[in-house]
Amino acid sequence: MSEHDVDTRPMIETHDVKKIYANGKVQALDGVDLSVSAGEFVAITGPSGCGKSTLLSLLAALDGPTSGTIRVGPYELQHLRNADRFRRQEVGLVFQLHNLLPRLSVLGNVEIAMMGSERPRAERAKRAQSLLRDVGLIDLSDRRPTQLSGGERQRVAVARALANDPSVLYADEPTGSLDSRSVSTVLGLFERLRTDHGVTIVLVTHDVAVAASADRTVHMLDGRIVEP
Amino acid sequence: MTHFSLVIGKIWEQKARSTGITLAVALAVMTVVTLTVVSNGLENAAAAVLTIGKADFTVAQKGVSDILYSSLDNGQVAQIQSTPGVKSAVGVLLETERINAANPLFIEIGIQPSDLESFGVTILAGTAYGPDAPNEVMLGWRAAQDLGLHVGDQFKANGTSNTVVGIYSTGISYGDLGAMFPLPALQAYNRVPGSVTLVFVKVVPGQSVAKVQATFEAAHPELTTIRTASQFGRADRNLVFLKAAVTGSTVLAILIGAVIVGNTMLLSLFERTREFGLLRAIGWARSRVVAMVVSESLILALIGSAIGVGLSFAVAAGLESLPQLNGVLHSSFTAEAFWRGLVVGLGMAILGSLYPAIRAANLTPVKALSNE
Repeated sequence: MSEHDVDTRPMIETHDVKKIYANGKVQALDGVDLSVSAGEFVAITGPSGCGKSTLLSLLAALDGPTSGTIRVGPYELQHLRNADRFRRQEVGLVFQLHNLLPRLSVLGNVEIAMMGSERPRAERAKRAQSLLRDVGLIDLSDRRPTQLSGGERQRVAVARALANDPSVLYADEPTGSLDSRSVSTVLGLFERLRTDHGVTIVLVTHDVAVAASADRTVHMLDGRIVEP
Repeated sequence: MTHFSLVIGKIWEQKARSTGITLAVALAVMTVVTLTVVSNGLENAAAAVLTIGKADFTVAQKGVSDILYSSLDNGQVAQIQSTPGVKSAVGVLLETERINAANPLFIEIGIQPSDLESFGVTILAGTAYGPDAPNEVMLGWRAAQDLGLHVGDQFKANGTSNTVVGIYSTGISYGDLGAMFPLPALQAYNRVPGSVTLVFVKVVPGQSVAKVQATFEAAHPELTTIRTASQFGRADRNLVFLKAAVTGSTVLAILIGAVIVGNTMLLSLFERTREFGLLRAIGWARSRVVAMVVSESLILALIGSAIGVGLSFAVAAGLESLPQLNGVLHSSFTAEAFWRGLVVGLGMAILGSLYPAIRAANLTPVKALSNE
């Protein structure tokens, strides 16, 4: 494909992905085939231990598959040489437990994601402030995470995930520890990201109501994608 | 936010760990710097003996444990004198004696009055002693000042009372802090007739000192020549052993300190597993994680080194004031001592933090983030 051709392939594509842990005793993924279009919002649901989070960690290049192929945009993850750079440039991650650094301010927690990027220091701070404005937390930018509510912390985590303009956003149970009001705030934020910025979102959740906010829901059982 | 502010923030957050590492570094640096300045002081004091005669080089017996144990007989002095290129060779007996608490190692020089001029001695008051005069002594002007003695006073040394017949200057403070006796008298007092400690040699003007030195050493393998303080170890083995002990202590301090720093940093790593997992998950390169951990350690090491150097001044002053060491120990704070302290501090930090830093950088993000 020449550089002038438009890549019409899906944004994310996996083929027969398997992941085996603990010396072959635990098969977390058993031949997963998944395709997600650019700008699509996909929810992955299924019971605990079905392999949802494992799949997400492979899509984010946090771990490698035992076999199979994974492509995210132009990157073939099984052949990825610099997974750090891939995560920094292409991926935004939101975790259930926020994983904010308690000693840093809200602003610092967003800025830290850009520390390995090419952005100059002043631009990093500007970008972090802009993102906090987007998630409605600019007035709390000097506070510590411990001074925020669960919903506010998760919004900081979303701002951090977007710091490097990722093409895909992976969220692992992002609403799992939130009250219903915060859940709708975070989901509203995801919807805005998709519509305003065209970010592809893959979200793992137990919650059927949360999954319903996605364009499409993928069900998993025993390490496989199954029909609902 | 910068890398530096992030590191400083972490150091401040983990106060107990930071204090522990800083103290470990400070103690190691203090020990090494103190040992170095003390050994430098001892070397300077010992090497000062060589400077008294203002000679081109000094001849001593090879390999003695202490240069003051060097012993050369009259025959050897005559051989030195007859070496081609030698202008003068002055045989001198050097002894030390406790005069009082302030002068535990008072230097006594036995030298013939005929050699005083070539030895660079100037009589400031009174006269020189006679060649075989019993119980006559000359005092260096600094010693006379310290002891409050003048020409005609009595000076008790070597178990006898000696009349001060003159006050001299050598132009070298170490020599001016001692006393000079007729050579046969000092030999008799110390029961070493016909023996001298060192021979101070002046070379014929225009001759190469190094060449004369080399010719002499080739002809007299049982003797050694000393021209500079760094060549002092040729005659004084104690100083060589002392220097080796200081170097050994430095290496040991780095190793023990590195284990302490490494252990503390590892404990910190276990506490911060989730943090490192998160940083790796959001795209921090391994090298950046390594740099962060090593930077923390290096900053603590610099602070610890500064404290250690400060403590070494206090400890050295304390040692010098001890009754057993008063007047014997003169610490010599040189740039080398500070460099050595810095090398110890930074060596501990780098060696100690490297393994924890590499472990932190190689954490699997998924496992680290699931760590409770």
